[in-house]
Amino acid sequence: MLALKICPEITGFLARQSRQGVILVSGTNGKTTTNNMLAQIMKKAGYRVVVNYEGANLITGVATALIKAADFKGKLEGDYAILEVDEAALPRIAQEVRPKMVIVTNFFRDQLDRYGEIDKTIAVLCGTLSKLPKTNLILNADDPLVAQFEKRTGLPVMYYGLGKHERVITASSGVKEAKFCPLCGTKLTYAYYHYGQIGNYYCTECGFARPQPWVEGFQVKIGHKTVDCLVSCPKGVVSLNLPVYGLYNLYNALAALTASLNLNLNLTAAISALQSYTPVIGRMERYNFQGKPVFLNLVKNPAGFNEGLAALLEMREKSDVYLAINDLDADGRDISWLWDVDFEKLADKKEYFNIFICTGTRGEEIALRLKYANLPVDKIKICANQKRAVKEVLSGIGKTAFLLTTYTALAPTEKFLMKIAQKERTYEAECVSSIS
Amino acid sequence: MKLNVCHLYPDLLNLYGDRGNVMAFKQRCSWRGININLFEVNLGEQINFKEMDFLFLGGGSDREQNLIAADLTQRTRDLKEAIEDGLVVLAICGGYQLLGKYYRTLDGKIISGLELLDFYTEAGLKRFTGNIVIEVILEDNIIQVVGFENHAGRTFLGQIYPLGRVLSGYGNNGKDNKEGVRYKNVFCSYLHGPLLPKNPMLADYLIATALKRRGQSYKLDFLNDSLELAAQKSMLKRLLK
Ligand SMILES: [Zn+2]
Repeated sequence: MLALKICPEITGFLARQSRQGVILVSGTNGKTTTNNMLAQIMKKAGYRVVVNYEGANLITGVATALIKAADFKGKLEGDYAILEVDEAALPRIAQEVRPKMVIVTNFFRDQLDRYGEIDKTIAVLCGTLSKLPKTNLILNADDPLVAQFEKRTGLPVMYYGLGKHERVITASSGVKEAKFCPLCGTKLTYAYYHYGQIGNYYCTECGFARPQPWVEGFQVKIGHKTVDCLVSCPKGVVSLNLPVYGLYNLYNALAALTASLNLNLNLTAAISALQSYTPVIGRMERYNFQGKPVFLNLVKNPAGFNEGLAALLEMREKSDVYLAINDLDADGRDISWLWDVDFEKLADKKEYFNIFICTGTRGEEIALRLKYANLPVDKIKICANQKRAVKEVLSGIGKTAFLLTTYTALAPTEKFLMKIAQKERTYEAECVSSIS
Repeated sequence: MKLNVCHLYPDLLNLYGDRGNVMAFKQRCSWRGININLFEVNLGEQINFKEMDFLFLGGGSDREQNLIAADLTQRTRDLKEAIEDGLVVLAICGGYQLLGKYYRTLDGKIISGLELLDFYTEAGLKRFTGNIVIEVILEDNIIQVVGFENHAGRTFLGQIYPLGRVLSGYGNNGKDNKEGVRYKNVFCSYLHGPLLPKNPMLADYLIATALKRRGQSYKLDFLNDSLELAAQKSMLKRLLK
């Protein structure tokens, strides 16, 4: 990171060289997938794009991606830089790179800032963006915390969202974040929820309500490893068949699609690029162990963990599961949030699970959580040694292995996995190799 | 056997893992064949505290806390009567603070509490955050209780007993070594974690107390608590060395 020290402005200098401009993707969950989906659409449309590595979304990570993509004279060869950026780093990066577009996916409280920090982060973000009048916003209409950006920044906005479908929840359940109107503080009324606070909301006091999306998915069908829906947009109604799991990935696709339409890309081409998106499950990495598919996923908050569990349930195959929970500073030292994750959903489908191997500095705690979620105690095993735990989950009798880890447990888990399993080419890898 | 469990504002207070306390109470009853009727009570909904056997109140962020305070104020008399009658209550963090006299913010503003118990809370500059161990006396047993505290409030007790003594961590105010409050069958604490799952002896004590109050047999069947105690021990080992 020498270059960053010598020239703190380098991020902005490099990013502004991209011929057409910089697109930033931010929000709590779905940044990586949205970023990659948009990159795929742009590349298929013939543009040269620069992206950052998954998770390299802090200031240094963004700078690294740009420096790697620049030639030795410091010239950046690319039409667009599409960068996923951490919410907290966004104000500084946005000031430096002056983005053409900012996509905001959703806001869920992280275990690190569950104590009202999110409101501060949003206030700072809106303040910064309001001073960048040339920026367009692509916003999730269904998240009140995101939709408030229009009023708070005064920038031009295009919304995307999801209409009512058969699986919506009418009674409140699960993780909920913004239960109050972000503009006036009154409790929000919901016609329905998709998940968390994402849904169709309105404020009886000030009239703040879910805006009508410019791009809207409807007639959603969640299949086995696919999501299908119809998409209505000003250019017409088209059908979209995504080779990925879950509603949250549909949101990511709608965000990428809206961004590409905002850039005047061809609708049919964009849809076909999305449909050929390499099926990675959320942020999951895929490995192969003696012919058995192995999935590795980072979990950092209840909403993200619930998404990981949803993907696990969508497999509908006998699985062995590895849960590595650490409580170091970078993970968040308070792991109470594990009790806000809906592990109870797994208990409804006990027959899919062969064993849960629990490891990490708080392996005992996650084991206990599973017990109170009604999973059979004889399927719960604590294994303090992470290396042995990885071996054990891979050699289980299930047809797939699922590994879910918190931040600091990810690298050691990856290391052990690399030794005994083959990493498969994922979309992330493809993306990165095409940078220069 | 049957117990009525009241979870106050599960809709609002669902981000701190504290619902694990209700899960633990409920599961440990049902594993023993004690039936549980769960009443989840949200803002403005009716509940008769006198019919309840166990009441749980968690904490939230400031905004949620204010809404709850407004709602609970209207129920103060009923709650007071039920508490005097021996209702078993567990109140955590913000819920704990609410039962006291007042909370004084950093800029000196006084937010009044329900004034059910003799203590007050003042905001401090530094948050007290971290794993904590306390020692609690339950009749003939002295037990160690583990959890995670995260509070800016400093609570000072008047003529009232603490729940326990701090062995590692900050506790009520970082000064007097006291943690929580105990009054009749009311248990207040700053311990998240959540508290009951990895402190099964405390959970069982609450269950037994609730049964005893209704004149039912309070000798609880044995449960295999090896996972509970493993979670507890890993923290005790780390903090007490
Ligand atoms: Zn409002």
